[in-house]
Amino acid sequence: MIDVRDLKKEYTEEETPTQALRGVTFSIDDGEFVAIMGPSGSGKSTLLHLLSFLDRPSGGVYTFNGKSIDDMDDRELAHVRNKDMGFVFQSFNLLSRLSVYDNVEIPLLYSTIAPSKRQSLVHEAVASVGLEDKLYVEAGRLSGGQKQRIAIARALVTDPNVIFADEPTGNLDSVSGLQVMEVLASLHKKGRTIVLVTHETQTAEFADRIIRVKDGMIESDKAVTKHHRGNVPLK
Amino acid sequence: MLIRDAFKTSVRSLTHGKMRSVLTMLGIVIGIASVIVLMSIGQSAQQLILSQVQGIGSNLIFVVPGGSGNGKFSAPASAQGIIITSLVERDADAFRREPSVTAAVPEVRGVAEIVYGSNSANISYEGTTEQFFEVRNLPVGKGAAFTKSDVDSGAHVAIIGPVLAKTLFGQNLDPVGKTVRIKDVSFRIAGVLAKGGTGAFGVDQDNLVIMPLTVAQKQLLGITYYGDVVVEASPQYDIAFVKSRITFALRQDHGITDPNKDDFTIRTQEDALSILGSITSILTLFLAAIASISLIVGGIGIMNIMLVAVTERTREIGLRKAVGATDTDILQQFLIESVILTTTGGVIGVLLGAVLVALVYLGVTTFGGIDWVFAFPLSAVLLGLGVSTISGLAFGIYPARQAGRKNPIDALRYE
Repeated sequence: MIDVRDLKKEYTEEETPTQALRGVTFSIDDGEFVAIMGPSGSGKSTLLHLLSFLDRPSGGVYTFNGKSIDDMDDRELAHVRNKDMGFVFQSFNLLSRLSVYDNVEIPLLYSTIAPSKRQSLVHEAVASVGLEDKLYVEAGRLSGGQKQRIAIARALVTDPNVIFADEPTGNLDSVSGLQVMEVLASLHKKGRTIVLVTHETQTAEFADRIIRVKDGMIESDKAVTKHHRGNVPLK
Repeated sequence: MLIRDAFKTSVRSLTHGKMRSVLTMLGIVIGIASVIVLMSIGQSAQQLILSQVQGIGSNLIFVVPGGSGNGKFSAPASAQGIIITSLVERDADAFRREPSVTAAVPEVRGVAEIVYGSNSANISYEGTTEQFFEVRNLPVGKGAAFTKSDVDSGAHVAIIGPVLAKTLFGQNLDPVGKTVRIKDVSFRIAGVLAKGGTGAFGVDQDNLVIMPLTVAQKQLLGITYYGDVVVEASPQYDIAFVKSRITFALRQDHGITDPNKDDFTIRTQEDALSILGSITSILTLFLAAIASISLIVGGIGIMNIMLVAVTERTREIGLRKAVGATDTDILQQFLIESVILTTTGGVIGVLLGAVLVALVYLGVTTFGGIDWVFAFPLSAVLLGLGVSTISGLAFGIYPARQAGRKNPIDALRYE
């Protein structure tokens, strides 16, 4: 599904070039649950942005579902983001003045899915995170954990192949964080590919595989021992 | 993104900040209402002026001394204050000999003080022939008009306007038969005009004094030429034909072979209507242009608020892009918001304009006593709505493009 070869990203700030990624190579197969870990400034978020088509690499090759990012224009990238990718952000990024329903519906507005099917898809997505009773509540009135579960519902609503989660428990207490990770784990069990960026070891241990990034390079890429997944408080 | 969804999303954003939307719209509302009111006033004034000119009769031809060149708007030299003595009795006689002419009425004008006892007034007087009253459709109410023999003999008689009659003689005294003095010449009042008001070209009929041509020329002005000659065409003939006949007669009389050297100007009511129509249309456009300045100010207000909205909603833009919105989707959404604001402002502006136009109409007719015509031109409504929509697009495009071009990562990180 995801294949990166010698992926590089260079930023220029105040005329000084900074290498955020210095040549990263790995693959992620369909149905995998991968955590990308690393300290602040290691390049993990940059890597997630490249993988999720929010940014373009400065060098190397990125192939998603067999097609290189270099062969796609911005419109195609937006289409792939809408159809094949779901996003969960640390700060939820819900539109607080809109209802839960309206928030979850947003990706569908940019999809080719017929308007008549939208209602049932939104209901299903919100039900899958266990918040169907909050459907018409203003998003700003929800707790942090509920907001992140709604953000997951929004990521699921177009039935994407892969969900990218950027520090999804970063703004949550341990109980809410655990609930969110359980939702992601259950999605993975149902066959969904999950790519997670985190700096928390307990959160990363929900994954099958952990890629550690340091100074813009891969430090390690290992499978996770499963013995204590889901039993450890996150914070 | 479907237009319907973009529209729904935009309406939701605008209704979220109702007060801001209303205040933003206000500039457009005032601008459109101003355009509507000024265009309506312009058109009412145009209709009023044109109806007055139409009131003087379509079969009249005005001959004034002095050429006016070939320009439609060129004024005859005499109208510019230059004394020209070329139009004389011989010319009027030549007109009368034309079978297509039923009357040729010479006119001379002056201003003077009229005195009766201790009362006096500054007036315009007009020296003319007995046919003036019929040709100019100004019947005499009290008393009688002067006659041909009065004109021939230079009788010191005068017909005065109804307001002047009250000014000089009060409510109870009958002016007919009384003697007044104009420039130390005595005149017997033979009659009072039946109707007053303002005639064509702003002639104040209320205070007009009309006297035999010969008296005005010899006793008051000391001239032998005419100020103008009003020619009444026979109804059996086409007005353009009559105009060509009297042009021919005048050229023969004055020995002119080159039409560019005409020392006279001949205008029909149609010419006057065309010139006045053009002038008032330009005036209306000028008024609309002034009003449109407020529309530009309103539009800049819209652009300013939309730029603020784009900045405030940067994270929302980032999110929408992350979940699949293209640059065009974002541009479209902000542009629709801007157009909804201006078009709604335009509709409210048109309605407000209609109310103001009705108030102007009521005020002018009730308190001004003028036969004001209620004009609410459809063109102004269409222009108002069109301009408001276009200003939404014009002033919304820059903020919308700014929104559409935002990089999703920078937008998502925006604090």
